[in-house]
Amino acid sequence: MSGEALVDVQSLSKHFGGIHAVENASCDLYPGEVVGLLGHNGAGKSTLIKVLSGVYPPDGGKILVHGREHRFHTPREARAAGIETIHQTLALAENLDAPSNLFLGRELLTPWRTLDSDRMEHEARQVIKRLNPNFTQLRKPVRAMSGGQRQTVAIARALYFNARILIMDEPCAALGPAETRMVLDTILRLKEEGIGIFLISHDMTDVFEVCDRVTVMKNGQVVDTVKVADVTQDDVLGMIILGQKPKPKVH
Amino acid sequence: MKFRTILAAALAAAGALGAVPAVQAKGETVGVSWSNFQEERWKKDEAAIKAALDAAGAKYVSADAQGSNEKQLADVEALIAKGAKALIILAMDADAIGPAVAKAKEAKIPVIAYDRLIQDKDVLYITFDNVEVGRMQAREVLKVKPKGNYVFIKGAATDPNADFLNGGQREVLKAAMDKGDIKLVGEQYTDGWAPENAQKNMEQILTKNNNKVDAVVASNDGTAGGVVAALRAQNMVGIPVSGQDGDVAALNRVARGEQTVSVWKDARELGKTAGTYAAQLAGGAKVAGLKGATPWSGGTKKITISSVFLKPIPITKDNLKTVIDAGWVTKAQVCQGVDAGKAPAACK
Amino acid sequence: MRNWFEKAGFDPRFSSLVIALAVIWVLLAIATDGIFLSPRNLYNLSIQTCVTAIMACGMVFIIVARQIDLSVGSQVAATGMVIAAMQVMWLGAETPGAWLLSIVGGILAGVAIGLFQGWWTAYREVPAFVVTLAGYLMWRGAAFLAADGQTLAPLSVTYQRLGGGVHGSIGTTWSWVAGVVACTVVVIGAFELRRSRRKYAAAMAPAWADAVKVAITCAAILAFVAVVCAYPDPSANIEGAPEGTVPPGKGIAVPVLILLAVAAVLHTVAQRTRFGRYVFAYGGNPEAALLSGLPTKRVLLMLFALMGALAAIAAVITTSRLNSGTHSIGQMAELYVIAATVIGGTSLAGGSGTIPGAIVGALLIQSLDNGMVLMDVSSPKRQIFIGLILIGAVWFDVVYNRRQGK
Repeated sequence: MSGEALVDVQSLSKHFGGIHAVENASCDLYPGEVVGLLGHNGAGKSTLIKVLSGVYPPDGGKILVHGREHRFHTPREARAAGIETIHQTLALAENLDAPSNLFLGRELLTPWRTLDSDRMEHEARQVIKRLNPNFTQLRKPVRAMSGGQRQTVAIARALYFNARILIMDEPCAALGPAETRMVLDTILRLKEEGIGIFLISHDMTDVFEVCDRVTVMKNGQVVDTVKVADVTQDDVLGMIILGQKPKPKVH
Repeated sequence: MKFRTILAAALAAAGALGAVPAVQAKGETVGVSWSNFQEERWKKDEAAIKAALDAAGAKYVSADAQGSNEKQLADVEALIAKGAKALIILAMDADAIGPAVAKAKEAKIPVIAYDRLIQDKDVLYITFDNVEVGRMQAREVLKVKPKGNYVFIKGAATDPNADFLNGGQREVLKAAMDKGDIKLVGEQYTDGWAPENAQKNMEQILTKNNNKVDAVVASNDGTAGGVVAALRAQNMVGIPVSGQDGDVAALNRVARGEQTVSVWKDARELGKTAGTYAAQLAGGAKVAGLKGATPWSGGTKKITISSVFLKPIPITKDNLKTVIDAGWVTKAQVCQGVDAGKAPAACK
Repeated sequence: MRNWFEKAGFDPRFSSLVIALAVIWVLLAIATDGIFLSPRNLYNLSIQTCVTAIMACGMVFIIVARQIDLSVGSQVAATGMVIAAMQVMWLGAETPGAWLLSIVGGILAGVAIGLFQGWWTAYREVPAFVVTLAGYLMWRGAAFLAADGQTLAPLSVTYQRLGGGVHGSIGTTWSWVAGVVACTVVVIGAFELRRSRRKYAAAMAPAWADAVKVAITCAAILAFVAVVCAYPDPSANIEGAPEGTVPPGKGIAVPVLILLAVAAVLHTVAQRTRFGRYVFAYGGNPEAALLSGLPTKRVLLMLFALMGALAAIAAVITTSRLNSGTHSIGQMAELYVIAATVIGGTSLAGGSGTIPGAIVGALLIQSLDNGMVLMDVSSPKRQIFIGLILIGAVWFDVVYNRRQGK
């Protein structure tokens, strides 16, 4: 971990009426690292990343990106600050093809202000080739794609727009072993390129393979943030289920 | 039509009204249930009814069923609740109105069936003789074209008046049709009486017969308008076409020679007659004792009903002056765009 | 078999629609002793289809975006009355330029109606079903009030040409010019597409498939021109010509040109503009549209405004054809327009639909109606038949989608 934090979340709060979905949560993310966001259903992880990705404005606390404070009112603003989010549902339009989804909201236009579909396909192909060389039929609709191909499109979307900060919500949840492998390899590669990733996952094996640190949440609050190297899977489970901080290891 | 006919009609109406005992309905409420106020002519009817009620000292309340039988039943109930002592009902459907009439009878409120038949022995049926309208339409067309290919553009299949009209039309044409002088080459109902639909149907009939059509008996002015539009596209304007209602556009067409006749039912007369009788009924008179009403049993159920039939007047090129003089339309409206060389008497 | 078809770039749904149309035409021709396929009847059919087809083009966008508009018929009436009132009551029908101003007025009224309905739907989040159901009542009432229920007639003589009747077509010469130009555009378009695909090494259909598509389209265009030019113009002036001279052909009717212009523009909008893309994206996955930062509310607003404008254009054709404005025009139009759109392949679940499909759908329904009147089938029976066809078409759609694994 070197240099300035990509994202620094300080005492973030988000309420929905009487429900404190996120309460006084703090975490951070440095370049080239993967931070796992773990916790039960309803622990506040999804809300936290929705605030980070601009879907909800926060009620309290600060978000610093590259040291500058931001307050996102729309997903567009979050993306403009360099945060790309891959939601659990992938946010892909089933009836459109890969290039259309990749460029959704940020289409490339011809000089006459019409959609430059062929150029978009070309650009999309470049990015997707890097992630999944076998995925060549880009013009079929998303509904005709496999789970892995859909993930590829979602990740490609984030990469094309040069995100330095990626948020991934359960990317492997609906995938088979081979496709899960592909996604994990991609995450490792992106880490090498210096991109910082917040990863939500419930699969301990995956978490321990790719994450450098984990931030565990329970009931809207952060239990603790620990280095993966310093804890065992049981420790982490204890944090998730009981909210119990792990005993410090003796080096 | 001649002055004599008008005089006769006026006298008949005046006689009917004049012979009635002057029962005043001081402050009594008369309820009017419209079936679909949004059709073109009813505004004139309403104005006439109101005027007659005012003259008799009665109050006017109304409701619009907007084309729905269910709503009309609810409307009648509401009018009764508002204290109506007599009801004028323009029935959406002659049979479906039954329950509403029953409600009124239950509350001892007399009912006038306005323009459209209600098959109930206790109502007062005031109408223009729609069968006679049909006869007049056919007569005028027959005058111009005693032989040839005829087309019936009828009213809405759902409206019993459409069949009354067609019945009258067929009556007049029967002899010629039986002899073979007249051949029926096309016949269609017109959904909702809509001119658009009449135009489309007429187009298709013309196509089917390769334009070999000599006369069109259309049942009202709206459909006549659609027919004339279809004829115009085939350069056939001028063949005899009938209509009814005395619409401004239709009277203009009559002046221009594009339509042969528009049978005029002075809605104001109908409204005035209904309003006057309603005021009497509200003041306590009984249907059976009304002067000017005669028993009639021409409905499908052959029930004998007290009726008052007003006489319609066929308006052709020759008597356009009638409608102008009666204040129904202005000369400017009727004569708009008329070629000076071919102008009818009223436009000179 | 279907895979091969699709790989060649043919849309199986559209193709089956065209085949169904062809079958219906053959059946109707047989049942009417060939009159159905006469140049005159096809000319009339082309005009009768225009009103429904123009509105169906707009309804495609609306249904694709998971909305509905139940008020289009009433919109036609309201905007039609505005046009007629401007000509007959305020400006004078024959005042120079009055007809043009009235059209502008009508379209503005349509857009205003659309913005009203769109605002309630998009910004106040009242379901479109409810808003447009209210509109169905309101705009019909407004149409009545415009002239107190009266019929407004006659309209400007120049204006009448827009209805396809007297002098309402462009004649043989111009029709052939238009036909050749259209074919050229199709051919050039196909070449351009291939060139662009090649430049970016994008996937493209085999050359022979594109050639077949272009050939069929051009053949259809030229056949249509030939047919309408074969219909002798009843209003042509042939005084002084020798006995037995056949009047010159009518050519393409003006309303058909209007329809083709509308269709071309909207097809381009659907496929080539961001607005079109966003409509389809929203229909495919509203959540994705939101998360991608698309201006969904504005898109919905524009959608309904577009529908209003198209209803006004349909009103222009209806009133010019009828040469009058009555408040009863457009009765039941909403049903036929929705039926045409759905038969044309637009899915009620949202997210898919095409302009050409909607036009063929409209043509299919109107062909049935047109043919059945030629067969002297009564109006109630026609309604039953068309209703059954609608169910059949949608059932076909359901089965087709199930096979596709949707």
